[in-house]
Amino acid sequence: MKTKKLTLCGLLTALAVVLSLVERLFPLDAVVPVPGVKLGLANVVTLFALTRVSARDAFAVVVCRVAISSLLMGSVTAFLFSLFGGLLSLAAMWALLRAEGKFCSLLGVSVAGAAAHNIGQVIAAVIWMQTGAVIAYLPLLLVMSVPLGLVTGLTCAIVLSHMKKIDFSV
Amino acid sequence: MKRFLAAMLLLLCVTGCTAQPKSYTADFFAMDTFMSVTAYGVDEQTAQDTAVTCERRVNALEPALSRTREDSDIYRLNHADGAVCEVSDDTYAALQAAVEYAAYTGGAFDPTLAPLTDLWGINTENAHVPAQAEIDEALTHVGYQNIELLGDNQVQLKNGAQIDLGGIGKGFATDAVAALLDGSCSVLATLGGNIGAYGENPSRDSGGWVIGIADPDNNADYLATVEVRDRSVVTSGDYERYFEQDGKRYHHIFDPATGWPADSGLRSVTVIDAVSTRADALTTALFVMGLDKGLAFCAEQGIAAVFVTADKQVYTSAQVGEVCTFTFLGEEKGYTYAQ
Amino acid sequence: MRSRLKWGDFVIIAAVLLLAAGIAAALALGQGGGRLYAEVWQDNTLVERVELTDSTDRTIDLDGHNVIVLSGRTAAMQSADCRDQVCVRTGTLTHAGQVAVCLPNRVVLKLVGETDEIDAIVS
Repeated sequence: MKTKKLTLCGLLTALAVVLSLVERLFPLDAVVPVPGVKLGLANVVTLFALTRVSARDAFAVVVCRVAISSLLMGSVTAFLFSLFGGLLSLAAMWALLRAEGKFCSLLGVSVAGAAAHNIGQVIAAVIWMQTGAVIAYLPLLLVMSVPLGLVTGLTCAIVLSHMKKIDFSV
Repeated sequence: MKRFLAAMLLLLCVTGCTAQPKSYTADFFAMDTFMSVTAYGVDEQTAQDTAVTCERRVNALEPALSRTREDSDIYRLNHADGAVCEVSDDTYAALQAAVEYAAYTGGAFDPTLAPLTDLWGINTENAHVPAQAEIDEALTHVGYQNIELLGDNQVQLKNGAQIDLGGIGKGFATDAVAALLDGSCSVLATLGGNIGAYGENPSRDSGGWVIGIADPDNNADYLATVEVRDRSVVTSGDYERYFEQDGKRYHHIFDPATGWPADSGLRSVTVIDAVSTRADALTTALFVMGLDKGLAFCAEQGIAAVFVTADKQVYTSAQVGEVCTFTFLGEEKGYTYAQ
Repeated sequence: MRSRLKWGDFVIIAAVLLLAAGIAAALALGQGGGRLYAEVWQDNTLVERVELTDSTDRTIDLDGHNVIVLSGRTAAMQSADCRDQVCVRTGTLTHAGQVAVCLPNRVVLKLVGETDEIDAIVS
């Protein structure tokens, strides 16, 4: 079973990297004038990994995705920002997933994850640039994370419901 | 997990060390004004070296260009009673530039106004309006044609002419700073009313430098901005130095034709140019010419200039849009942008 | 479908929006949150460096030669014993990057801090 899991994690990481790359084709910051605003498609993969694999593996997928996509197109700053954002998002979604079904749906989990991602990024930026000025972007980023989180959450829910139709287990 | 962490560490190193550039600011007094040179480099030492080298260069220029220092070339020349003097390379180059721009502006900028400024006592305790006869007498010594550049750093002043390079000195210094830069640092130099912005501004995504154009009524504030790169921005205004007598204001920008402060309905003129000496001479010349003649001269010669008039209008020459990004911000202060 | 909205989803969305509003309000109150410092230099040495906040209220007297008033997030050269009074006429400084210079006394008052607006003023 270990090989199957490893393969799946590799696949998920590859998918997440591709999604981060595809994301760049939609210059969302041209519409919303805030640096760092993204669709957050890679979050679909994180959420999927959390629900269908395990928190440990989701963690590995996030770190690998961030590292590889930064290597492909980013700088050390982009790496740090995404890593902070990615891990905080992972933690928030992991915590909320335990209440999923009773308290909230996958959509709420995804919104919280998107918001946490932005908060993490901004915290990393504050630490790295040694200036609090970047916090000014946070309110707009948080507002944006609601619709964006709903979209990614919905995508993940659709993916999961399709997964039921095929024989898929880890 | 250990191996995983090691891999991550390696990755961190590979993704590059795009560290934030470090800056160093040298503040100093020179040429009767306050100067500030900020350099941005890969590390603090590089930035500091660059800023300090710039400061040294400006300080070294002071004896070459000053009129008041007794050890200066210009002082010697002014007191030579018309004899031929040998001056330093810097002084000779500055004099050449002064004569060139005086001819270029048809004498609207003139480096031989010293007898007039002395007579009016601008920036001294006995600033006053002189008698017309005194002005007429002083004017007989004024005229850039009285400067004879004989080559080999030899200069002769005819007709009792006295030189004051105040009108281009800071521009000349800004160009001297620009000439020192080798591209290792970005530099923002504020030498009195002359600003030189060279290289990429690391604190802006665009890499440009945003320079505010002072509000003549409150010159800590600004009524427009220009975003430039590798350019100098120079302003001359009637608010810098002036005195009041019988309720009337007399400023320090003289019209060489009349011997009186230029009464052209302008408050300030800003020129954006790659050569700061040229921009410096042009701000004075355009101020003397006035709005209509000034704008016509800009159109003819392709000069980027911003005019602020006494009736609170801001005009820009056509060239402004080509060399910088101009943003008008004076609405709240009662100014209108006349395009 | 696991996407049927539950009451908790609205709680999460509301919490995110509230947080956004809270930060925006805090920033608006703190005037952009950027730190601003007033520096007083005399003969090329820094004699005072004071952080300006909304509650700043201080007067710095340089032996009677220059009197500097710091009030809220502004600074001004209130008086000077020099003849040209250029520094006093400069007015009130409100943005980082602004300077008031008293040449005769070699005193410089400048505001430094995080600024997005301008890099320098030409005057």
